[in-house]
Amino acid sequence: MNPIIKEDHLHLWLAKIKIICLKMFGRRASQLLRELASCEPGQLTAYNTDTFEQVIKECNEHNLQLQSLIRKIEDANLDIQTTRNEDHFGAVIHHLSLARNKRGLMSYMYNRAEIIQSLRWTIGPVLPLEIQEKLNYSEEEYYKNHSTAIEAYMSQLDLDLTVDMVPPKDPYIRVKVLDDIGEVCLGEHTISLTPQSLHFIKRVDAEPFILQGLMEEFLE
Amino acid sequence: MLSYYDIDDILLGEEPISVVFQIGANGVGLLDPGSETNNVEKSAKVDLPFWLAHELFLRQAVSINVPSCYSLKTRKEIQADAACVDLRFRSPYFYELGCKLLPLVADKSIGPFLRYTFTSRYKEILCKSHSITGATPKFSSKLTKEESLLLEAARSSMVAFKKWRVGGSRLEKASILGRKRKPTMPTQPSGP
Amino acid sequence: MERGEAAKRRGGGGGGHGGKKRCRSSEEGVEEREGGAGDPALRGWPSSEGREQIQLLEETLDEFTENRSDDLVVSLYQMDLDRALFLLRSYLRIRLQKIENYMVHISKTNLWNRLSEQEQRFAKRCIEIMEKHLEQSVLSRLPYGYQSMLKQSISSEEDDMVPEPQLDTFVFCKTKSDVGAFQLDDTGEEIVDLVADDLYVLRYKSIRGLVDGGRIDLV
Repeated sequence: MNPIIKEDHLHLWLAKIKIICLKMFGRRASQLLRELASCEPGQLTAYNTDTFEQVIKECNEHNLQLQSLIRKIEDANLDIQTTRNEDHFGAVIHHLSLARNKRGLMSYMYNRAEIIQSLRWTIGPVLPLEIQEKLNYSEEEYYKNHSTAIEAYMSQLDLDLTVDMVPPKDPYIRVKVLDDIGEVCLGEHTISLTPQSLHFIKRVDAEPFILQGLMEEFLE
Repeated sequence: MLSYYDIDDILLGEEPISVVFQIGANGVGLLDPGSETNNVEKSAKVDLPFWLAHELFLRQAVSINVPSCYSLKTRKEIQADAACVDLRFRSPYFYELGCKLLPLVADKSIGPFLRYTFTSRYKEILCKSHSITGATPKFSSKLTKEESLLLEAARSSMVAFKKWRVGGSRLEKASILGRKRKPTMPTQPSGP
Repeated sequence: MERGEAAKRRGGGGGGHGGKKRCRSSEEGVEEREGGAGDPALRGWPSSEGREQIQLLEETLDEFTENRSDDLVVSLYQMDLDRALFLLRSYLRIRLQKIENYMVHISKTNLWNRLSEQEQRFAKRCIEIMEKHLEQSVLSRLPYGYQSMLKQSISSEEDDMVPEPQLDTFVFCKTKSDVGAFQLDDTGEEIVDLVADDLYVLRYKSIRGLVDGGRIDLV
């Protein structure tokens, strides 16, 4: 160490570090949420494993500090419930930071789960690869389970709730096929849905194809 | 709790607040746990995120200084021309933070000041929302989070109204799938 | 979901089919759906009337098709059926959405009794699924004392993590009859005179009693 640095300079320098630390408590967890909030409503970012794991690590570090401060109070033979000394407030700050980090992590997973479950209505029971890649293992499982719960509900009512998302005008609509869908059985007829072909079919039959981007409504 | 999972409520907690410690706190630096300099001394002036400042205030460990975004200088600027002031730069959660600070500080004039600011800017936002076309205009970068949502709500209902008047397809592809389609879809949509 | 659309349709699609009872019942469906969407809390389950109504329409339609009736008549019935089905579907969807958002809160209050049997089963499953998901991805990895889905930590006295509907929000509502001077806040500073058949924008919390008592409609 440079001998020219006076002791009070060193003190100032250390004080600065300490203040930065306090400011950083809970910061990383909020970065997860900022990331989630930065995209358009209803859109999903890739699950951020790195930051998530770092926050979990922070939680454990806060807990270690918290426990050691509690031990310190107990070792001094003070009542843990009523003591309001420096160690107590140190412990409070670590407890609050842990709870804050928990809130960040829970909110991250919860809000993602809400977006994920909404996909059952817009995309269907199986997610395309481009979206699956953004989920972690538990989220994929969550999607499947939630999807099954909706299906169970619908089959109890004997009513498909995933169609009829916009108010109906005509029972039939004119559609243009965008992708090679192949032979599909609609009601009593089988029709061949080849790219660029035009069809006049029941609106409820067309809806799932349109949502998945395989067809579009054809307007003159 | 009303908003445990609410992202904006959590992010608002990250806004920096200057506090003065009324009592010291030990062991609150994570970098060097063993050292004595890990402690915050009594009457130290420190910037804390609002969530921590709030909790410590409730435990009478700190006193809170009113942030500069509610200072006399800002108030004068707002009075001169409310719509021109860059509030996002001061705090994207200008109103929400103000509401939460109000019970914690002695200066109660923040309340009427927030109301005055919001109502004077509100009219401007709604007027401008009708004339927006294409790229985001310069003034929208000065809006707080709440004001941006308001602008977006006004804009999108205008778009929806125009669309309804003109007519056209109401069935659309799920927006999350993006514009480009992958050549192979893993699923074959089932017939009804 | 598109709330305005239903109101628009109410003017256009009413005529064209016989049977006074059916016609009225369809209108009720519209109101129920709108109320369901505008209400921040959950309304009671309106029994299976809607479902019966649709069955009736379906039977009528089959009858007409079998008898080879006029194509125009058949397609009018088809459109009415589609309309009723849409209303029923969006009504049920909105209810599911509310259940998903506030499932834990609903399961712990008397709102639970407002769910149908199937909805209760759905809500139970949703809670289990969400619990499992949060448990394995977050809670089980946190230190002891912080692993609850309901309490922030072991030192929380009550469940401080459960999302509840925002009842403080403003709603559009229409009075059915004269209510008279009505107090909006606890202190009695805000009083409004509610006249019959007038539109108001008020805080849901303050008029909740009137809504439950059927004196005011949400629109």
